[in-house]
Amino acid sequence: MAKRGPAAVAICSTAFAALGRAQATALGYPELPIAVIPHPFGSRTRDEVRQLAEQCIGEIVRLVCEAGPRDSSVVPNRSSLTERAALIKVPGDLDGLYSLFRERHWGDGLPVVPPTTERVERMLCHSHRAATEVVATVAPGFGAATIERIAANAVLAGCDPEYLPVLIAAVEAVAEPRFNLQGIQVTTNPAAPWLIVNGPIGKRLGVNSGVNCLGQGTCANATLGRALRLILQNIGGALPGEMDRATQGQPGKYTFCCAENEEMNPWEPLHVERGFAPECSAITVVGGASGTLNMNTHAKDADDLLRVIADTMAHPTSNDYWTGGEPWLVLAPEHAEILKRAGLSKSDVKRRLWEQSKMPAGRMAAKDRLRTGDARRAELGEIGPDTMLPISTQPELIGIVVAGGPGTHSVYVPTYGNSRSVTRKVVCNA
Amino acid sequence: MPRTLIVDPTAPCLNQPQQLGRTLDGLTGKVVGFIDDSKPNFNHLVDDLAELLVNRYGASKVIKRRKRVSSHPASDTVITELVEQCDMVITGSGD
Repeated sequence: MAKRGPAAVAICSTAFAALGRAQATALGYPELPIAVIPHPFGSRTRDEVRQLAEQCIGEIVRLVCEAGPRDSSVVPNRSSLTERAALIKVPGDLDGLYSLFRERHWGDGLPVVPPTTERVERMLCHSHRAATEVVATVAPGFGAATIERIAANAVLAGCDPEYLPVLIAAVEAVAEPRFNLQGIQVTTNPAAPWLIVNGPIGKRLGVNSGVNCLGQGTCANATLGRALRLILQNIGGALPGEMDRATQGQPGKYTFCCAENEEMNPWEPLHVERGFAPECSAITVVGGASGTLNMNTHAKDADDLLRVIADTMAHPTSNDYWTGGEPWLVLAPEHAEILKRAGLSKSDVKRRLWEQSKMPAGRMAAKDRLRTGDARRAELGEIGPDTMLPISTQPELIGIVVAGGPGTHSVYVPTYGNSRSVTRKVVCNA
Repeated sequence: MPRTLIVDPTAPCLNQPQQLGRTLDGLTGKVVGFIDDSKPNFNHLVDDLAELLVNRYGASKVIKRRKRVSSHPASDTVITELVEQCDMVITGSGD
């Protein structure tokens, strides 16, 4: 806005002032005037808001009328964009190295593998692209994710060198505007990208799609998800408590990765549903909001099963209902088989769940119903307490993957809502 | 103590510094735009600030635009409208 002419002022509550300043700087406006008001703001009474307006109006006027510095004093190091990443001499012992990484906030709190030049070079052998090629700029800090920096973070996370193409595709995917990485990175919501692997590369890299696929114990699942997190933090600049404003966060912010269990999937796999050939390898990123909600049911009848899943999906504090989102399900192979045997296609399942999970808007808190009205008025008209809210704007937006081992546990993955999943082909170095 | 050479995992920002909007010499007769981020209460703050800007500081007109949801940017249409019509634009962030 500021670059186009009018004077501009941002108003931030105290808890978000540092985010506002960091964001303005990342966008190229380090001198953007910011008026700060006390936090929390949203819970104030109408009279208190009037008082706040009185208190801050003078400051707002001063900020736009006071001649101050109007050119940035912070100049990005453009030259480094076309050069290899900087090399840093660090202590050779692990204790010293871990201290350095903690001090510089380069990790996720767990020990890391030193991204030595040798390890990074070994990883770079698995991409045909130049080490300096910029795959994407990563919000909210808009750091340049070059192939080399992706590789360095992959090493940090403990990835094997051949994992690199998956991460390159993942960075491309999260940078797609419809994924809304900007929102996901800075939100108070616990949003975390969930990485789903499809196609032959899943087996080749040993990405777990079966027993405990969203749990611990498999190197590829653990380190691919972790590497994506480190990329978002180290390259994207979303440091917890600074630009990453998650109120609590969630365990999925350490790692959130699995493959689809294509062998046990009675329908077409996710990447085929999205237009890729079965023999193609692809990844999908989803803006998962709350980790996973277990749905343990011994239902053996498709109608019964769909009813309880739809019932689980309907909850009034969901971003999906507020925004018209994109909820996801990880169906256990046993549950998927029940639905398939009943003659239902994946599309049928989505349609049935979409219809059956409609929720009266009156179940929401009054303020949430109001913001739902803002967000979905164009789609649904005026929203009253009796309005039946669909969880997404279209049945097709309900995402389904089949994963996991034997058992009667499917998983519901509520999402950030203001995000759409993205699937990208994984290009391996032939 | 032996030293190891590692690759810096962080990245410089690609965005170039931008010129900020102009500084005003007062608000008398000026058009003020608001982008309401749709967070709770921001609409009320917009109303109250608008009233003060007109009645106390002499702004001639206020244009208020509300985002559908806070986590998406304002639409290009809204930005174009405000840029064309306003001398000053106020927006917000925070709960």
